[in-house]
Amino acid sequence: MKKLRHAVEYGGARLALAACDRLDPRRAFFVADRLADAWFLIDHRRRRTAVSNILASGVETDPRRAFALARASFRHMGRVIVESLKAGDVLADEGGRRSAVEMQIHPGAMEALAAPGRGVIVISGHIGNWEIAARMLSFIKPVVGVTRPMNNPLVERLVRDRKPWGRFTLTPKHDANAARFLQTLAGGNILALLADQHAPDMKHMIPFFGRPAATHGSAALLHLITGAPLCFGYCLRSGTMKFRLIALEPIVVKRTGSRKDDVETILTRLTAELEKAIRVAPDQYLWAHRRWRDQPAKPASS
Amino acid sequence: MSNDDILVRLRHLMKQSSQAKVDWDAVTADSTIASLGFDSLTILDLVYDIQQEFGVEFEAEKLAGVKTVGELIAFLRSCMGGTAGEKAAPRC
Repeated sequence: MKKLRHAVEYGGARLALAACDRLDPRRAFFVADRLADAWFLIDHRRRRTAVSNILASGVETDPRRAFALARASFRHMGRVIVESLKAGDVLADEGGRRSAVEMQIHPGAMEALAAPGRGVIVISGHIGNWEIAARMLSFIKPVVGVTRPMNNPLVERLVRDRKPWGRFTLTPKHDANAARFLQTLAGGNILALLADQHAPDMKHMIPFFGRPAATHGSAALLHLITGAPLCFGYCLRSGTMKFRLIALEPIVVKRTGSRKDDVETILTRLTAELEKAIRVAPDQYLWAHRRWRDQPAKPASS
Repeated sequence: MSNDDILVRLRHLMKQSSQAKVDWDAVTADSTIASLGFDSLTILDLVYDIQQEFGVEFEAEKLAGVKTVGELIAFLRSCMGGTAGEKAAPRC
């Protein structure tokens, strides 16, 4: 059954890629929007999650508006895929990059990014188009994105094979080489992580829109143990194949000796920056992710 | 500090940060780091704790060649100049 599903998904992905190649961006967005609407209609579990997350965050309090925002978020995901597939055309030369992406990089962040041989940790969330962000940063220095492989290995291979990655490469989140991330930073690369995925270990419950969310501590730990600059950034869509790339001042936290406290100080700041970014463009956030899926057990009342 | 003392302290730190089910008393210098449940993500807690516990500053990426607990002990000894536990914060 699983093999059949993977094969069907693979066939669909191939069709979508072929259509995307033949259409100009506006038409490709039109098609992507319709497909996203269909997905929104069919996948009631994710739709419910998205609406419920939006209401829980307080970004929208009216259920009808939350529903509309959830649908916009699904359309956004469709557009992210189209943009990522078409990015090669737009970002190929410097003129194209300059016209497509407005760079708003804090001077401190730019200094760290531009320093030769200096590893930098760049953190973002599922806001805007994180792949365009990584592609743009890779023109400054090589970017290694930490990723979880797709559930469907056929689609994973298809996507990997067709993308002109250039100086943007991927590495699995859990690599048997324990020193992989440390080597990446030592090699003077940008290590890019998305920090808003659910962390099953639940070691760090960080407030996200006022509710505790299990958050990965790896970005914070990398900063604490290597001293590499840690920058929060994101890339918002401002038009058809137009973007605004924002990178904030690097966060610097000195260790106190308490790993948990140090990590959570950093994660709290990063999460607060992510919340601010989401409030700027709530329709460009992946609300369908079950960010609050596990909550700490409440102490039994006496 | 002897290698055995370092091993005891490492076992304690590893037990705290690993999520793997391991018989920690059976961990020896020959045990591989990977077999104790550490990968590129889960090693980070341990590195922080080692830097803190042994009072050493080291370029964490130098751990790249370290595959076994024994190699980790040797690495730490080289960082500490063979004088683990003294006041200064050696760096390697």
